[in-house]
Amino acid sequence: MWVRLHNSLVLFLYILIFFITHGLAQATTVRFVDGHGKTLADVDVKLHEDIVYIPIDSLKSVFDSNLTQEYHRPRGKLTIRMKDSEIGLRMRNSSVTINSGKESITLSHPPRVIQGQPMLPISFYTELLPKLFDVEVKYNAHLQRVRIMSKTAWELPVVDSEQELSIIIDPGHGGEEDVGCQSQNGLIEKDLVLAISKEIQKIGNQNGLSILLTRSEDVPTKRLQRVNFSNQNRGQLFLSIHCNASYSATHKGIRIYLNNPYGLLRFRQRPITLIGRESLNILKQDDFLKLSKDFAFILEKEMNFLVEDPIEILEMPLISISDIYMPAVQIELGYLSNIDDVTRLSQPEHLTELSMAIVRSMQIYTATHKKSTESNGIPSEESIDSD
Amino acid sequence: MGIFKKIIHSRLFITWCITLVVIVIGLSLTLLLISHSKRTIVQDAPPKLPDTANPTESLPIPQQINLFLLETTGTELIPKRVELRLFLETTERLNQVVTALIKETPPNFRNPIPRGTVLNHVYIDNQKVAYLDFSHHLASGQIGGTTAEFLTVTAILKTVFDAFSDDVLHVQLLIEGKEQETLSGHINISQPLRF
Repeated sequence: MWVRLHNSLVLFLYILIFFITHGLAQATTVRFVDGHGKTLADVDVKLHEDIVYIPIDSLKSVFDSNLTQEYHRPRGKLTIRMKDSEIGLRMRNSSVTINSGKESITLSHPPRVIQGQPMLPISFYTELLPKLFDVEVKYNAHLQRVRIMSKTAWELPVVDSEQELSIIIDPGHGGEEDVGCQSQNGLIEKDLVLAISKEIQKIGNQNGLSILLTRSEDVPTKRLQRVNFSNQNRGQLFLSIHCNASYSATHKGIRIYLNNPYGLLRFRQRPITLIGRESLNILKQDDFLKLSKDFAFILEKEMNFLVEDPIEILEMPLISISDIYMPAVQIELGYLSNIDDVTRLSQPEHLTELSMAIVRSMQIYTATHKKSTESNGIPSEESIDSD
Repeated sequence: MGIFKKIIHSRLFITWCITLVVIVIGLSLTLLLISHSKRTIVQDAPPKLPDTANPTESLPIPQQINLFLLETTGTELIPKRVELRLFLETTERLNQVVTALIKETPPNFRNPIPRGTVLNHVYIDNQKVAYLDFSHHLASGQIGGTTAEFLTVTAILKTVFDAFSDDVLHVQLLIEGKEQETLSGHINISQPLRF
């Protein structure tokens, strides 16, 4: 009898320890950000069967400060009133009624009472809010980040086909001799940037953009070939895609580079260009710096949701885009010398997300910049040369 | 005769013979080594004393120089103070400082100059542009990536400008005596650079 009692006690203790350590719902924090990446709130959430559950009060701080809620505990009935809409929910029931049953929506996961508190599933944000209000909500499970931005800003003005901009994507490096940088597990820059460039071209062309690649295969491509291809195809925007590497294994994240001979490193005098544009007094690459910056800021805003670290925009004399006579940006998608970045860049879903963010940036740029080679942001000689 | 034969064939006699041979060989080798080492010492030339008449060959008191290197756990170049016995002549000193940057990798630091790099030649023109001519390893030893290239270029520039703030305004990097567009395809080094 004592042996049985002992065994039962041990079993009970094991179960108790399991629930204490794992718990029915684990706690974690999710960051809510706006369309500019600015933090709206850091919210303590619960994980139930790997689904994120958010306290109702957080809706006040991230969406509508005038929100009111009523919770009838015995019936498990929750009513939320926000922005002239009444949303009716029941605990453990995925069906949601809107404005006293005029409409109904089924969520992927039901609301639940967790540790005595009624909580909303993440799908309430990602599925319900965009249907009812003028918002676009995206959840990045990897970074535990929720982005809420205005749908109006998301929708783009229709671009006149005559004003359609030709965009040049330049996959860096190529061929056997110029492989770029490499990770320890065999990820090679030339292959990675070609794959993502092709994906950008595919998604971009599906969305009405005209995208051309400086190389479509793993072939050696000289700088002059890239320059001539871009200038001859009358590109209006140039994006050179690379991966980064550093002698420090702690360097990580996305970097955006702009060609500025008077940036972090400074030239003694203006560089002499390939076809003698200096003497002809024709625009030089860094004359497009203002427009290049515009595109860089759009890229930064669109991509900061996808990575943990802030994206840096750096200006220096760059050879890779120095003779490209159009707004030009070089993006380095991550460090192949950093284990976290290598893991991130090895995930096909992440590469698709990066491609979509780049296409989205191009859409915003083309929608807001007219087809013209006349730069409205050409800096004066005085402002450039302070030597 | 019988007793003599017995002694010759006994184990003890053989053991003693072997021991004797080993001792003789050992002694011979020791004597050979001693005589050789004596010869080496005799052959060595006396140390050449610095020529005090020529100031460039004299070695003044050691000086503190900052070499800009990367901490193993950090992401920024930081000054690492080292002591160098520097020549008086500026070009010679520049050569010494840049060579020290190439060679020095103290514990807990990483050197952003690729291994095998050699400084072939230095020259400072009358406009205070320092021309630093490196071996091909500076370019061919790059690991790829704009950050790595930027660290290499800025480690050289920071070290030079810190030690020669009055003598050097710009630095032109050369590879095997020639101007190059870039080290590994990203940063434009075709012009003299400064910060």
